Amino acid sequence: MTSWKQQLGDRIPDRLGGEVDLFEGQIELKKEGKIDDKIFAETRLRRGVYGQRYDNGLRDDGTGQQPLHFPCGDLTKGPDTVWDAPGMMRIKIPFGKLSAEQLDTLAELAEEYSDSILHVTTRQDIQLHFVHIEDTPDMMRRLAAVGITTREACGNSVRNVTACEYAGVCKTQAFDVTPYANAITQYLLGHPDVQDFGRKFKIAFSGCEDNPCGLVTFHDLGAVAQVRDGKRGFRVVVGGGLGAVPVQAKVLDEFCPEEELLPLAQAVSRVFARLGEKQSRARARIKFLVQKLGIDEFKKLVAEERETLRPDERWTAFLDDLHSTDEQPVRDPGPIPSDAPAGFQAWAKHNLRPQAQNGYYVAIIKMPLGDFTSTQGRTLSDLARQYTGDSIRCTVEQNLAFRWLSGADAVAFYEALDALNLSEAGAGTITDMTSCPGTDTCKLGISASRGLTGELRKRLDVIKSDLPPAVESLRIKASGCFNSCGQHHAADIGFTGVSRQVGGRKVPHFNLVLGGQWTQNAKSYGLVVGAVPSKNIPKAVELITAHYMQNREGDESFQAFIARVGKKDFRKVLAPIQKPPSYEEDPSYYSDWGDPREYNIGDIGVGECAGEIVPFVEFGLQEAEQQLHDAQDALEAGHAVIAAAGGFRAMVTAAKALVRHLDVQVKDDADDVVANFKTHLHDTQLFHDPFAKGKFATYLLKMHADKSHENANDEIAHRTLDESQLFIEAAHSCYQRLTESAAAAAE
Amino acid sequence: MKPTKFQVKLYTSAGEIELEKLVPVFHRWIREKRIPDELLIDVADYAHVPQGPGVVLIGHQSDYYLDVADDRPGLLYSRKRGFEGDFQAGIEDAFRRALRACQLLESEADLGLDFATDEMLFRVQDRLAAPNDDVTYDVYRGPLEKATGAFFGSSGSLERIGSARDPFAVRIVTGANGSVGDALARY
Repeated sequence: MTSWKQQLGDRIPDRLGGEVDLFEGQIELKKEGKIDDKIFAETRLRRGVYGQRYDNGLRDDGTGQQPLHFPCGDLTKGPDTVWDAPGMMRIKIPFGKLSAEQLDTLAELAEEYSDSILHVTTRQDIQLHFVHIEDTPDMMRRLAAVGITTREACGNSVRNVTACEYAGVCKTQAFDVTPYANAITQYLLGHPDVQDFGRKFKIAFSGCEDNPCGLVTFHDLGAVAQVRDGKRGFRVVVGGGLGAVPVQAKVLDEFCPEEELLPLAQAVSRVFARLGEKQSRARARIKFLVQKLGIDEFKKLVAEERETLRPDERWTAFLDDLHSTDEQPVRDPGPIPSDAPAGFQAWAKHNLRPQAQNGYYVAIIKMPLGDFTSTQGRTLSDLARQYTGDSIRCTVEQNLAFRWLSGADAVAFYEALDALNLSEAGAGTITDMTSCPGTDTCKLGISASRGLTGELRKRLDVIKSDLPPAVESLRIKASGCFNSCGQHHAADIGFTGVSRQVGGRKVPHFNLVLGGQWTQNAKSYGLVVGAVPSKNIPKAVELITAHYMQNREGDESFQAFIARVGKKDFRKVLAPIQKPPSYEEDPSYYSDWGDPREYNIGDIGVGECAGEIVPFVEFGLQEAEQQLHDAQDALEAGHAVIAAAGGFRAMVTAAKALVRHLDVQVKDDADDVVANFKTHLHDTQLFHDPFAKGKFATYLLKMHADKSHENANDEIAHRTLDESQLFIEAAHSCYQRLTESAAAAAE
Repeated sequence: MKPTKFQVKLYTSAGEIELEKLVPVFHRWIREKRIPDELLIDVADYAHVPQGPGVVLIGHQSDYYLDVADDRPGLLYSRKRGFEGDFQAGIEDAFRRALRACQLLESEADLGLDFATDEMLFRVQDRLAAPNDDVTYDVYRGPLEKATGAFFGSSGSLERIGSARDPFAVRIVTGANGSVGDALARY
């Protein structure tokens, strides 16, 4: 056989095979220069072929940015994206469900086209890194042959539909959401009504309200199973999201009957496609449309749209066979042996959960940073065949769940995992951290989220047996930037990567986000307490947990503790470690975890007298941060209007500092600051973020124009503070860019 | 048969590998272009994965792993693309690049690495072109023996390993006891 297309033949479903052939043709056309860069970029994204760090052909090696001379020359696969540069392949795994055969294929692809590592994402996908675009059609064919498509894994489309990994076997579920998640996946995949979105669209299902597995509240569309009067349906929410400004989804329908779920999703999609923002990516998610219209108007539009839909038999056809997604155990149920060894007991405490079906368990296999090898993948597929059947699920916490494990087999299963080095205990505890790829591979990464969580894992591993239960149960999540792929807003202790300028050099930091709620489908999000140098984050975790243990009252939970003492209290605790030493005192602070290169200093020179003379702008930015902190305290104290006003004032202060840095005369009143900011920083694009463009500037301009902060309720105040935080971060970045430009000009 | 997707692994002689020490070394190799005929791109750190790929120097034509699979640390050279010669030359080029990388690593005093030459692993990461079966073995056996002889002085002892679903792999016992430098010098 000369090609995978020939080799696999009829095993590739016609529709999927045709799509891959088309994509392969588009690759050839692009190589011939017959497709526009932007169009090709979106085309490949909608096939799951994603960019990766350094794919613009430049890489800072610690001494400055160096060109990467790929053999392809000028050929590109998108704007500023070099053809030969390695990319990432995102493979959609609907609701995370994998068969043993599918896992085998994924393992093969990882070692033949990637680096032998399979990475579980926070949206139940599998990602392979360092993939060449010309390998992707064969990868897609091999996936198609086992029933997997990468279609719409990226791009402005319906992303992987997620659902609880316990769906169907959970004791608290209203019913199994799997067939519904499957139906909506199949129905919307490639549907004409979801092809014209301005941004991505994420859907999640949860089997119950209280547990976090589905995390519906931060999704564009979420469905929580409900039974009313014996009839199945869903509480449907819309317009949630994390990203730069986290938003809780709003209730679209308190009870959507099961037969109305698909048409409702279609109607929502049509409204989003028609009215959603298309020009400004920064405001194109559906959450902004819902905010702009208001949930009542949005509901009305969806209801009107629903009336216009032409009936489709697929809306209800799947209801005739809701058992089509049921899983069949391969072993008889049984009790866990009473003489199980101690190692098993420690593992089972957090990694084994009884199913609703007596004698069966769900085993969570903890994957370090979401990674496992091809060899491990093949052995895991053997274990599935032997013990559990085709019932593996990727989890949103970057682990694998093996369902339908008989209690009688649990010890043997554990021992097999132990032989595979995958028997790490503590699933869902403080040692089970979630992290996005961060600066390891992501183009948008600001700080090394994986490097950080890797370091925390090492340190916690040493002390894990001594951790009190209240600390052990905390969740840590890290994102390398404000886009929040690590879902840090919903963690007890969350981190988001930022950078700071100190003495003319950049220092990697993480903003500490405390108080997010993972339970009840991620019911509330945390607020930023402050930025801490990356190298002090392990110390920060130590201080925070110690402060909690020393000052908690009775059995007080971490969240209750935070609510009682306030974030102000934590700021005092963290204050001693928030300022990094000078470069001369300790240069290790000026590189990130797991990366010895000096942190992104690139071609920046060391400023004259750095460390001795602090420019005004740095004072101004510091003042803005302080105003923001005060505003956050006001919000905690229940003073929404004061908080929102403070958040706005902090933005004005940061803007004023930058305007003055440009030697522009500016008065102290907000109108003059904003007018000058617009003229000298917004209109000139000096304030523009390289990726988010003018997004952060609009927070200030819009708030100044509509005065929304003057009559704020809790929600508006919260949003104002979030936007203020991001604006100040953007001000820091802008200042860094201005410094770099000045240094370059001086040279 | 296209000479691509060949992998060659040489094992370290003894001792514990401190993977984290590889990260700055590989970053420096990129900066200093220590493998001058290849484009080196990035470093991937998988030290947290037990029996995994370890630390990987990602390149365009090839990747270089300090791999800890099977609890047997070693240098794994992995060609991905870009070789233009014939089949025999392709195998010998993979041997040469693996040995050259070992030599470079041995020259990094802080690492304290020493590679053995008595045993190698040869693998083809291409199930379409090289399924792990006797037919593929018949194709590769002669060229592998010839390459082994060229570097180590004898054709060695070969054994196909793994199952049909694993990549095609051959364990080569070279019979040599010299250094990687000796092997490169002989070639």
